[in-house]
Amino acid sequence: MELIGIFKYLYEQLVATGIPQVWVDLISLVASAVIIFGVLALIALFLVWWERKLSADFQQRMGPMLTGWHGLIQTVADAIKLIQKEDITPTKADRPVFFWAPIICFVAAFAVYVTVPFGEGLIVSDLNIGILYIVAITTFTVISLLMAGWGSNNKYALLGGMRSAAQVVSYEVPMIVAILSVIVFVGSLSMVDIVESQALIYQWYIFRMPFGPIAFVIFIIAATAETNRTPFDLPEAEQELVAGFNIEYSGMKFAMFFLAEFINMFTVSAIGATLFLGGWQGPFLPSWVWFLVKTFGLVFVFMWFRWTYPRLRVDQLMEFSWKFLLPLAFANLILAGWMKYSGWFNW
Amino acid sequence: MTEGLRTEEFQVNMGPHHPSTHGVCRFILTMDGEVIVRAEPVIGYLHRSLEKICENRTYAQCIPVMDRFEYCTSMCCNEVFALAVEKLAGIEVPEYAEYLRVIMMELNRIASHMIWYGTTALDLGAITPFLYSFREREDILDMFEMTCGQRLTYNYIRIGGVSKDIPPEFIPKCKEFLATIDHKIDDYERMLTENPIFMVRNKGVGTLSPEMAIAYGVSGPSLRASGIKYDLRRDDPYSIYNRFKFDIPVCHNGDCYDRYIIRIKEMRESAKIVRQALEQLPNAEVNTGKMVKANFKPAKGEVYSRIENSRGEMGVYIQSTGDTKKPLRVKMRGGSYNQLQVMPELVKGVKIADVVAIMASLDIIMPEVDR
Amino acid sequence: MFDFVKTVLIALPKGFYTTFKHLFKKPVTLQYPKEKMPMAPRYRGLHYLEKYEDGSERCVCCGLCASACPADAIYMEPAENEKGERYSEVYEINLLRCIYCGFCEEACPEEAIFLGHEYEFSNDSRDAFIYTKGQMLANRPTKEKPFKKIIRKVRRIF
Repeated sequence: MELIGIFKYLYEQLVATGIPQVWVDLISLVASAVIIFGVLALIALFLVWWERKLSADFQQRMGPMLTGWHGLIQTVADAIKLIQKEDITPTKADRPVFFWAPIICFVAAFAVYVTVPFGEGLIVSDLNIGILYIVAITTFTVISLLMAGWGSNNKYALLGGMRSAAQVVSYEVPMIVAILSVIVFVGSLSMVDIVESQALIYQWYIFRMPFGPIAFVIFIIAATAETNRTPFDLPEAEQELVAGFNIEYSGMKFAMFFLAEFINMFTVSAIGATLFLGGWQGPFLPSWVWFLVKTFGLVFVFMWFRWTYPRLRVDQLMEFSWKFLLPLAFANLILAGWMKYSGWFNW
Repeated sequence: MTEGLRTEEFQVNMGPHHPSTHGVCRFILTMDGEVIVRAEPVIGYLHRSLEKICENRTYAQCIPVMDRFEYCTSMCCNEVFALAVEKLAGIEVPEYAEYLRVIMMELNRIASHMIWYGTTALDLGAITPFLYSFREREDILDMFEMTCGQRLTYNYIRIGGVSKDIPPEFIPKCKEFLATIDHKIDDYERMLTENPIFMVRNKGVGTLSPEMAIAYGVSGPSLRASGIKYDLRRDDPYSIYNRFKFDIPVCHNGDCYDRYIIRIKEMRESAKIVRQALEQLPNAEVNTGKMVKANFKPAKGEVYSRIENSRGEMGVYIQSTGDTKKPLRVKMRGGSYNQLQVMPELVKGVKIADVVAIMASLDIIMPEVDR
Repeated sequence: MFDFVKTVLIALPKGFYTTFKHLFKKPVTLQYPKEKMPMAPRYRGLHYLEKYEDGSERCVCCGLCASACPADAIYMEPAENEKGERYSEVYEINLLRCIYCGFCEEACPEEAIFLGHEYEFSNDSRDAFIYTKGQMLANRPTKEKPFKKIIRKVRRIF
């Protein structure tokens, strides 16, 4: 609440200076873009550190300890190192494709946050097609991975790129169907409407028996595949394809892929928290704290997945998606629609 | 539709700098998309000419060279060479030293299987089991370090006995280790054994039929996974293995999953053997054996000794002329070589991810192949 | 169906439980350059040469260590001092050839050479690995090697 107050105050000050409304809007847009970029860059750096620390805890190690308190600024040091590194482009690479791939990946990762509500009123723009926009933008990642795989002119990279295309396309479908079952209940694509429809804890979609939990599980599984994390990290399967699509990337370009991956993980967690866990809703604490708590809780689950399970094989991955997840998601959607129509559990 | 599309096979060079080829093995994979059409192993990147080195060393000096033969189970390498020379020269090893040898070899087998467990999980994408198994392996290496002074190349089992008696703190530490090892292996199993992802990755993958296994000379756990109950500790007992009660686990499908189960069970069996050996260890007479001198010359003749290593039958053939201090010919046999030769048959038609899984389950280690 | 329950509903949470259990355990690793693992008394690391109490060298340059060495890493040249005692004028170990098997300390009849506990001696030039006599004498630890007796027992093979 305080945060939104500050923003409101600044906006009013800007209006009071008497400059034309177009400029006010432009300035506030740029300012919010910068704020979002800064916050997300911080979150990405924090997530990299957290993942390393958490993996260390799972494995009874210590993880980074030397740079800062418990290695807190280790990621910053790593980022500086990566910026300093030579940016190598292979001679036989398809240069424009190779160059643009990480940039598309990076930009797409950030562009999603236009419609993610960080708190009550803390949203850049409440589009009425919010969730559709998010789903559309996250799909851009696969194009960039495919470009990276093709542009590198490396067989491992190509295999990784192809795997990623196949994987993301097949997991996109059950994920959207799972999201759709929530949308059927809300009756709106706007993120704010979705959050506002689950004001009380029993109204959270994860607790709407019986379709909610199923949709949530489908969403989590598909989201893990979407963000290329273990057990679905086939595009960069280190033990098979060495590093998959980013095998030829170094320096800042690699860092862009790397950060985008972590931001994507945060994105899907934020969507999951918004759709199923009530977004910013919660008592006592400010709304944005609730949002962050829920999102980081989901991020923890993703990391827990990664440090526990082995990886699937590519054909098993496809089979799982098309033969199990997709029928289940459709059945669930029909169930949700019927529940909505008949008014059961429609509290 | 298909007429317009042109597909072609392509070659991928897997190794020698590949993260999951366990050292420096190189495969030339001919692939059709993700499917392997042909695989050709290229060996020799870790060749150190150990056989020739041994032929230019005295018998006693060969033992530290043997340490490098298969560095995951150096104790067994020491033992196989010592056994060969003892057979050749008719040297008796005191009972106490035999017990120490068995304890060390079985601990080393557990350590070696722990490496295998960790790297198998790692090759399938699970990173955490690797660190759990290496945590326990560290305890074993600590025990070796306090006994012989090294953690990897022990130079402990010598011709005629063992080099040093165990330190007094060894037995309590070993007992403590044995008390917890079963729980730790339970932990390992909880991570993988019934995990559905692990099962679909391993069941029915890389099936090695018993006929093919025998034809290629596959031995050790990989052979027992194919349903053949053949273990040199029972079938050709060396040292004092006939004094211990232990099971030889056998599975029948011969796929990667069975090879996993066999090795997990073997860890428990080895722990059993060490427990019995510690109980039976004769306290009355501490005799670590009389080791042969540097100018030791065995009689003219030839000998082949073999033991059950964690990767199959490990053997050494020695030919002695009888008038020099050095062996005329030394030939080493490692289980990994045969298991690598069967790889091209097993990987035909599987996905590239399975190549990694099969290689991990066969537990190939390159120093043993290249020598 | 039974398989589904057994694998997905039981085995998957088991894996979760195992990793979660370890989340609260103490790390087993050390912060290496700061903390170091205590080496076992018998550890075979970098060599050193022992002296008598009066400061004279024990080594008489008999050459047994060099002949026992399976890696041919030891080179020595003998000389005599004014009292007519033999000593080694040059005593070098090529640490890049050495395999740290410990045969030299087992072979030495004068109890002159031992393998100490030092293990951090990496360098960036090959010449630096030719380990000379002066360095070996200087490397002598303050405490006496605790396992002399054990090595004395072993000293039967050369």
